[in-house]
This record gives sequence, C-alpha cells and structure tokens, in this order.
Amino acid sequence: MSSRMVGARDRGHWLIVIGLSIGLVTMLLPLVWMVGTSLKAVGAGLGGLSDLLPWPVSLKNYRDILASGPFGRYFLNSAVVAIVVVAGNILFSAMVGYAFARRRFVGKGPLWWGLLATLMVPKQVTMIPIYVLTAKLHLINTYTALIAPFLVDAFNVFLMRSYIEQLPHDLEEAARVDGASEWRIFFNVVFPLTRPALAVVGINTFLVNWNNFLYPLILTNSDSMRTLPVGLALYAQGENSVSWGHLMAGSCLSTLPILVVFVIFQRHIIEGITAGAGK
Amino acid sequence: MHTPGRHGPSTLVFLLPWLLTFGIFALYPLADSFWVSFTRYNPIQGPPVFIGLDNYARLLRDPIFWTSLRNTLIFVVGTIPLTTVGALLVALALNRHLPMKALFRAAWFMPTIVSMVVISLVFKNFYSPFGFLNAILSLLGLPGHAWLQDPDTALGAIMLMDVWAAVGYYAVIFLAGLQAIPAELYEAAALDGGSGWRKHWHITLPLLRSTMLFILVINTIRSFQVFIEIFVMTRGGPLDSTLTTVYYLYDRAFNSFELGYASALAWALFAVTLGASLVYVRVLKDRGAA
Repeated sequence: MSSRMVGARDRGHWLIVIGLSIGLVTMLLPLVWMVGTSLKAVGAGLGGLSDLLPWPVSLKNYRDILASGPFGRYFLNSAVVAIVVVAGNILFSAMVGYAFARRRFVGKGPLWWGLLATLMVPKQVTMIPIYVLTAKLHLINTYTALIAPFLVDAFNVFLMRSYIEQLPHDLEEAARVDGASEWRIFFNVVFPLTRPALAVVGINTFLVNWNNFLYPLILTNSDSMRTLPVGLALYAQGENSVSWGHLMAGSCLSTLPILVVFVIFQRHIIEGITAGAGK
Repeated sequence: MHTPGRHGPSTLVFLLPWLLTFGIFALYPLADSFWVSFTRYNPIQGPPVFIGLDNYARLLRDPIFWTSLRNTLIFVVGTIPLTTVGALLVALALNRHLPMKALFRAAWFMPTIVSMVVISLVFKNFYSPFGFLNAILSLLGLPGHAWLQDPDTALGAIMLMDVWAAVGYYAVIFLAGLQAIPAELYEAAALDGGSGWRKHWHITLPLLRSTMLFILVINTIRSFQVFIEIFVMTRGGPLDSTLTTVYYLYDRAFNSFELGYASALAWALFAVTLGASLVYVRVLKDRGAA
C-alpha cells in the first residue's frame, strides 16, 4: 500500500474522531447545563452561558426541594413502583417464558401470537378503558394502579422464552428423574440458569418504568401519589412560580438512579435493546 | 420426552400472572375501546350510548383532528430520516478502531436513558427567549428567537430535540447489526478495489436491511405516539402548531371527558400507524426477496 493512501485513510480517521467529538459535546451540553443550573445560587443571573459553570456552587436548590415535601414523596413513589415492577417482571417473565419454552398446552400457538400482538398495540388505544376500570374499582391514586399494568411485560416474556428455549434439557430431566416437583425444577434448576437474561430484564424494566409517564399521569390526581416524571412535568406548569434551579435540581435527582444503573450495567442495557432486533 | 399433560395442572399456574394481566390490561381494554369508539360516553353523565359511526364521521369533519394528524405526520416524516441516517453514520464511525470508543458510545447513548420529561424541561429552557440557544446565537452575532412561541418554529424545534434524544438509541442497534457482518466481505471488497462509500453502499446497506426494517418500524410506532414533549413544552400551542394526535385525544379524553370520541381518535391513529408499518415491510421485504 502506498504511503499516500495511508495518509488519506489517516485523515479520514481523524475527521471521524473530530466529528464524534463535536457530537459528544452536542450530546452532553444540555445535560451539563441541567447540572449547572441545579447548582446555581438563587439570585445569580439566570440564562445564558454562565449556566454551564455556575460560581459559586450552591446546593440550596437541592436543600429547598428536599425540604419542601413533594419531591421527596415523588421519589419515594417512583422507587416503590419501580422496585415492585422490577421484582414482578423478574419472577413472572421467567415463569411465563418457561411455560412457553418448555410446556405443551392447549391454545399455546394463539396465546403466543396474542402476546406478540400486545407489543404492537399502542398505549393510546388501551389507556381510556384502563382509566375507566381503575376509576370504577376506586383504585385511582393507589400503588396498585401504578404497578399492576406493568407487572408482566410481554417483551420480557419474549426474551425469557428465547433464553430458556436454548438451555439444555438435561438438568431438568435429571431433576425430574430424581422426583423433584415441578416447582422445585423451576425454582432450583431453571431460574438460577436464567440469571444473565434476568439481569437484562431487570435493568431495562427499571429504566423504562422509572421514566414511565402516560399511565402514571392519568391514573393519579393527588400530589402525594405522583411519580417523579409526572410530578416534575406538572410542577413546571405552575406558570407563576417556576424556579428553574429547583426544577433542574429535581431533574438531576430523578436522573441520578438511572445514571448509576447505566454506568454499572451499560452492557446489559445494550443487550436488552439489541435483543429485539434479532427477531 | 415426557407425555403431554403429565404436569398439566401446574402449567396454568406458570401462565397465570401473564393470563391475568393480558386479559385485564390488553384484551379487555382493546375490546372495550373498540366498543366505546361507537358510543357517546361521558363517565360523569352516565353509561355509554351507542351512536353507530357518528364519532368516526365527526372525526372526518373535525379540522382540529386533521391539523393534529398533519402535525403528527410532519413529526414522523421529518424526524425518522434524520434519526435513521444520523444513527447509521454514528454507528459506522463507532464501528472503527478509535481512541476512547467506549466513551463516545456512552455519550451518544446517554440522552436515550434520561426521561423524556427531563429532556423536554431542559430544552424548554434551552429554546426560551433568554435561554441557552439564543445566548450562543448572540455570541455568533445572530439574532435570537422565541423558538417555542412562534408557530412557524415550535414544531421544528421539538423535532430537532427528538432527533438529538433518539440518535444514540438507534445507533446502538445499527452497531449490533454492523458487528454481525463478517469482516471477510469487506476484505474481499478491498481486494477488488472498492472504496469506502461504495463498500458501504454495496455491502453494508443490503446486509443491514432487517436491522433497518426493525428500526423504521419501532421508530414509526413511537413517533406516531409523540406526547410527552408536547405536554411538557407547548401543550399543543401556539395556535395548535404542535398539537399532535395523541395530545389531542388526551385532551378530549381527560379535559373534556369525551371518551367515545377520544377512542375513535385512538383507533384512527392506530390504523394510520399500522398502514405505515405495512408500507415499510412491503418495500424492504420485496427488495430482500429479489
């Protein structure tokens, strides 16, 4: 290969690095601004470039919102809902995925198509009946309403069935020969083997649920039952007294758990996203 | 092999969690929503009253519905090509041997894990008359603008934000597709003297067809449902210039309690979304078969 060609290739290489770096700044700038604004002392001039690196740095916005009540409550609500929904999906998607992967039963084919079809149904079609049903059962403003619709996600079942299908049968058969009950086979043999897939299910369910907006918006109407995204969005609409410092402090706090999960489990998150593309 | 039905009863127990949620939160709402779309239904006044096709007839005559559908289509048609091409370019760049590759990939992916509410709040300020964007423009000596208060720029501003927020997500999917392409194919092309862009045109793109189809379909389904951005940033204004169909049906359902009409709107949008998805499948599948 001639040196001229290598030179051209190198130049292309550096153009890409420069392009990606500009992209990197574009991607991170709004998020840096969010952190900067949240750390601004109240009264320091608002708006413009000084928001990026505020000086002096102040935690007053954080102290304010944590002392003022609703944000702490929103955080608690989001945490309770996310933890129960993640736990439910880990257990139930494994159970249902196991049934579809290993059992023969009447109506299996149509039920599987039904499950896949729910992935296509947009929320705007089902939200009105779910709202009416929740209201009729007097479950508006309850954790039940915020949790139940999300306990068994169809996509998670899809992932678990694919994963369990490719596990070898030997261990289950051996346990069955030893006289283990069906429950023991599931909990002691299959469930532990699915841990890598369950990690993907758990982490992605957490991310999706933590940011969930439409259902929590329509299924609650009291301030004490709002989740973080809904609470933040509605706080921003109180036109008279919006404090961007407070709002961005709340935004940062609501992003923090996601960021921690992202930094630790980046690989699992990407696995979860790309799993669907292989269909 | 064991005989079918040997452990029959317990199968139901394994399926039960999904059967319950499937019935309560998918089958029942689908059927109910379909029925309600043929009724006049305000839950405060009483049970649904069957009115035949009136809601659908009203929808065809409702100028606000058409405005909302037009805005939604502009959103879909405007964002999807930008997002898809942007994501593909980012994926191609990230697929090379680069310094700090992991950092680049993480940075591009970051916005996609932040909640759309938070992103919308940040950009609402970013686009405001005294916000960050105008500050940058004035540094460059350019005039500022009230981006979200002007009917001519509000929807475009929201669309650009959405592209920003979504590119990294689809780039990650493209990247997985790229990594599945065997390196030998490129080596063979290099021997034949194929240049960078020709190589991508003749090898990469055809082999990414199923990834592309997947990305276009999920992005279309999502984009037709655009709601949070509108709820947080503009509430459909100014002058309905950012009123999308899901925002309009949310407004009909939960501000005016016209549940029958809102359900008809929901089914109309579902039909449009399904039609668009089928077009992709047709176009990309036919090419694949040829």
